[in-house]
Amino acid sequence: MAAALQLPSYLEQSPEVASRFERLRQRPVALEVSGLTKTFETTRGTVTALSEVSFSVHKREFMCVIGPSGCGKSTLARVLAGLEAPTSGDVRVYGQPVSGPGPDRGMVFQSYTLFPWQTVKQNVMFGPLMAGGSRNSAEAEARQWIELVGLTKFENAYPQQLSGGMKQRVAIARALANQPRVLFMDEPFGALDAQTRCQMQSHLLDIWKNVDITIVFITHDLDEAVFLSDRILVLDPHPGRVREMIEVPVPRPRHNDQLFEPSFMAVRKHIDNLIHPPGQEHHKENPVLRLVARDPDVV
Amino acid sequence: MRPLASLFKGWFLIRRDLSSSRRLFLTAVSFVLPLALWCLVSYVDWIWHPDIKLQLSSEREGNSTVFTAGDHISPGYYQEMVVATRAENTRLLASTPPPKSSKRANQKLLRQLAPVAISHDWLPYTEAQNDASIYHLWRDIATGTKIPTDPALTPENLDIVKQNWAQLAPLAADFSLASLPETPLLKLIPQGLPANPVYLPAPHEVWRSGWRDFKAVPPEGELSMTQRYQHSLRVILLGFFWACVVGVPIGILCGVFDFFSKLFEPFVDFFRYMPAPTFSTLLVAVLLAGDAPKIALVFIGTVFQMILVVSKTTRLLDPSLLEAAQTLGASPKQMLTRVVIPGILPNLYNDLRILLGWAWTWLVIAELIGVKSGLTEFIETQGRFRNFDRVFPVIILIGVTGFVTDQILSWLHGIIFPWTGRGNPIAQTFFRILFWPFRQISKLSDRAGTPT
Ligand SMILES: Nc1ncnc2c1ncn2[C@@H]1O[C@H](COP(=O)(O)OP(=O)(O)OP(=O)(O)O)[C@@H](O)[C@H]1O
Ligand SMILES: [Mg+2]
Repeated sequence: MAAALQLPSYLEQSPEVASRFERLRQRPVALEVSGLTKTFETTRGTVTALSEVSFSVHKREFMCVIGPSGCGKSTLARVLAGLEAPTSGDVRVYGQPVSGPGPDRGMVFQSYTLFPWQTVKQNVMFGPLMAGGSRNSAEAEARQWIELVGLTKFENAYPQQLSGGMKQRVAIARALANQPRVLFMDEPFGALDAQTRCQMQSHLLDIWKNVDITIVFITHDLDEAVFLSDRILVLDPHPGRVREMIEVPVPRPRHNDQLFEPSFMAVRKHIDNLIHPPGQEHHKENPVLRLVARDPDVV
Repeated sequence: MRPLASLFKGWFLIRRDLSSSRRLFLTAVSFVLPLALWCLVSYVDWIWHPDIKLQLSSEREGNSTVFTAGDHISPGYYQEMVVATRAENTRLLASTPPPKSSKRANQKLLRQLAPVAISHDWLPYTEAQNDASIYHLWRDIATGTKIPTDPALTPENLDIVKQNWAQLAPLAADFSLASLPETPLLKLIPQGLPANPVYLPAPHEVWRSGWRDFKAVPPEGELSMTQRYQHSLRVILLGFFWACVVGVPIGILCGVFDFFSKLFEPFVDFFRYMPAPTFSTLLVAVLLAGDAPKIALVFIGTVFQMILVVSKTTRLLDPSLLEAAQTLGASPKQMLTRVVIPGILPNLYNDLRILLGWAWTWLVIAELIGVKSGLTEFIETQGRFRNFDRVFPVIILIGVTGFVTDQILSWLHGIIFPWTGRGNPIAQTFFRILFWPFRQISKLSDRAGTPT
């Protein structure tokens, strides 16, 4: 507890980090969201999933969106990708208003959504082929992306034969092969075990470093958000609205040891407090049902 | 004891697959069991056998009904006939002077042995009235040159044969109506065995009749069994083919576009409740005799179900795959051809397999409308004559055809759609070898297309 009190403020940035953010702000705006509201008409009335959400992401920035379950993160990603039309407000990618799904915005879903009838290579070739590329050029391109995600050995396997982590790597390669300008990822590692998830995070940062891409990454995992992103957008639930946009003061390049640096812990704790406000945690003093007598060693 | 105990363990596990040897065993049992039951009921006399099946033709004085070999009668009536015939013979022997009889009646009496000759292949079954041969048969049996075994004659009947021959031999060595005696010959006592009702022939009888029917060379102007079979297959396949040509595209469109779904499905839903056979007279009136109305009936019976089933299958495709394709830049047309169609193919294939099974039902009805045809006509005719031993082989043939087709199609499923993970390694290798030349050609043409 004492250590927690000694944490620096999450707003404190080292000069290098501060100057990096300064430079980032100078970059062109890749994604601009203004006054975005999304409501759903259901049988039980109107549900407001997102209310007046505004933010912008700069070129080659890595931004995470975090918030409690049901706060509208997936809805936000779907609207940004053009899969849902906003009720009001607008979304622009490099100044172009978004009116539907398009190859300039890639999407990676939590549920992989690989085409089961295609091999890994054919899945990755899908985008280039849709864009009208020849089979040969698409194949050559697909090979490179598969190599980037390290699945060359599996290029002729069917998705059913792959593990969850491998499937998600194929999904990433498939989205990247389309050369989108912005990539949306909706809890892509949500279904993976902790170990694999950790590997995939480092791997994703590597890819991001080598590919000209701006990433908006949705997660509900605090460590993941802090580890990956330049800035974190925290959403409030019911209705989903922007709580805070946080600049992560952890320097880059990131590596796993940083998980215990004060700046990392400070941001993490701050976001934790935003999402799970203190004082709301221990509300179960009188459990209705107690199955065993109190055991002093099991508390 | 251990290995024996483990033999009985683990047969009933909820939603667990059995080992492949156990599965194979059960598959065999599922066919052997009904067959064994059939054999048991057919060959173990005390289980059922409510009838007597005659082995010889029999008739009685004062009763105009003549029973031929193979007829079924009740045991009570059989006893009555045996007693009555014996009494007739006794009366004949006792009366002096012997009563007069017509030579014709004696000629008819001699023919009582014909079924024995036919079942031993001493006579072809078309020659039941070949009196010359039958006359010699009486001689051969009386003298013991020929000994009937299946059916064997009872000692009582053998005695009657000898007595009759003793009367005939001095008169003529060969048959002639004129030289038959004026006095009545002795009648053979009815002979029969307990049997099941005529609608349940024994396996060997069914096998024998089936073998004979399928090998028989039909008389002029009639179709052989193979031709009937081909005809039936042609009708069902054509009907099903046209149903696919119409039903599959409409089904897919209905599953993809709400527009087509609302435009077609309500009417299809209504129409499929009108039984297809009710249109038979209409179809014959419009399409006239021949195969057209039959094919049309199979078509009508199948196509409406097909539209609904296919549209449902299409709707079951994971919508997130379509969303993924959209974010990858697929146009609506590409989504249809590159995602929807390949995505539903494995399920579509299974749907069509099941629908093909239904189409057989419609085939049977279709063959009865207009001019009867195909296997069903045979079933109909033979069934009317109560020749159920000839009906069953055809029914079984239809069953086997359907079953084998389905098994082959199901086996092919794993090969055509290897990603469904039900692939059979042997079959896959087989097909890889089969398609090897095509792959080489496509590779070559790919290489030719490369600019470098
Ligand atoms: N198609 C829909 N129709 C009606 N309501 C919807 C629909 N999609 C989402 N919602 C509602 O919008 C709200 C936000 O949903 P969303 O899936 O975006 O949450 P989320 O933040 O992604 O949650 P999680 O972390 O559990 O994935 C929820 O209250 C949900 O009930
Ligand atoms: Mg979600």
